[in-house]
Amino acid sequence: MKAFKFLRARTCGEAAQLLAKNADARVHAGGTDLLGRMKERLDTSDVLVSLCDAAGLDQIRVETDGSIWIGARVTLAELAASEACRTFLPTLAEAAGLAASPQLRQRATIAGNLAQQTRCHYFRLATFPCWKRGDDACPVKEAGGVQDTAGIFDGACVSAHPSSVAPVLGSLDAEITVRDAKGPRPVPFDAFWAAPKPGIATDTILGAGDVIEAIRIPPRAAKQYMGYAEVRQKAAFDWALVSCAVRYEIVEGAMHDVRVWFGSVAPAPWRARLAEAALQGGACTDEAAAKAADAALAEARPVAGAAYKEHLARVALRRALADAREGAK
Amino acid sequence: MKPATEPDSPARSKVQMILRVNGESHDVAFVPHKTLLEVLREDMRLTGTKHGCELGECGTCTILVDGVPRLSCLMLGLESDGHDIRTIEGMAGACGAHPLQTAFAELGAAQCGYCTPGFLLAAEAVLARDPTPSRATLVEELGGNLCRCTGYLKIYEAIELAAARMQKGTPDA
Repeated sequence: MKAFKFLRARTCGEAAQLLAKNADARVHAGGTDLLGRMKERLDTSDVLVSLCDAAGLDQIRVETDGSIWIGARVTLAELAASEACRTFLPTLAEAAGLAASPQLRQRATIAGNLAQQTRCHYFRLATFPCWKRGDDACPVKEAGGVQDTAGIFDGACVSAHPSSVAPVLGSLDAEITVRDAKGPRPVPFDAFWAAPKPGIATDTILGAGDVIEAIRIPPRAAKQYMGYAEVRQKAAFDWALVSCAVRYEIVEGAMHDVRVWFGSVAPAPWRARLAEAALQGGACTDEAAAKAADAALAEARPVAGAAYKEHLARVALRRALADAREGAK
Repeated sequence: MKPATEPDSPARSKVQMILRVNGESHDVAFVPHKTLLEVLREDMRLTGTKHGCELGECGTCTILVDGVPRLSCLMLGLESDGHDIRTIEGMAGACGAHPLQTAFAELGAAQCGYCTPGFLLAAEAVLARDPTPSRATLVEELGGNLCRCTGYLKIYEAIELAAARMQKGTPDA
């Protein structure tokens, strides 16, 4: 691995100060994405600012107003095991517990899960050209065969954001607290993602001096129906090919305040607003799920090798809605 | 440990650290960008921990950090400060092989053997939490360790045999 300086921040505020002083620095916590990219020389930063000792960022708190505060360094294993998560945010605990492998879940953090870069095989191997790394060519668009990391929406870059935890956070209207040297600022989940640009590896609005401090889930007065489903090739240690998280309330027998988010289908976690509109005000049935999927997928423009994901998205939405309806959560 | 928060410390100068490995404290010097896997193998000559994909995709570099299976390829040596590290070299006790090691040898639960140290340590962590794990628990808990010889059944059987012997208090009979 390339040599770097390793600076340990004692607080998130100190991390922001260190980032302001070191323009080329990267934020380190679990290292499961960053260190892999540094080994492959996809990232050649000279300085890591680590949150590994930063106070408080490993906590999950239920606040007095009922909102839930999740520190940036909370791991996927901690989310999956957390009593607060399992009780109030069961879809988040479920998605976190299904991700990766036991060892990776012990390291991978919620903030890193959002900020991770694409898992496109061509992006990850410096020997291939990549549009995101500044080349003209994109091997995925030219390749035949089945593409597991490609999405079905937004054609500028066909690689999909791989997180299955992110669509759940989207469905919960999570807010991301981002800190820089001037202080913290809340970023709505929708606004956290940046459209793909040539030569830009990151998929978020995080700038050079920014560090994620926490994820905040707003409180809800009414009973919440939450559902999650993912489709993947292997039972363990695999990425979702498509994931789907839904949340709604029931008002007089009809779905209200509906959220439908997909993972692994677009360069960012993808909010299916047309599906939400189709479901809003109706009953939660498999027929409604099919109509909502039609609405959501009307805009799909997959490369040939990822066209199968349209079907997987239909299946995932139907299962996620059934999961919510059955009220196990 | 040398203060790593000092912004001017040159990236290539070594840091001196006390590492607690297999119950003993070791004074080790290494460059800050070395992974714990590299520190163990190259600076401490503990080559039982295997070097696989280096990206967290295979689990062969699994060690125990405070009793929890971790990937030494994705953890920096610097992060092991203050933690209790256990590698395969620390598994056999004064009385000989660990019951898991004995069972793996008896049942042929190692083929090429490259994944074996990681599996043994991950299995030890499972048994510490759940002395009589179901097969489903084993499959789930060992899901992060790949055996490219695909010898999974014998590995599960060996862990179950060791678990049964450890319950009876007869490590190798």
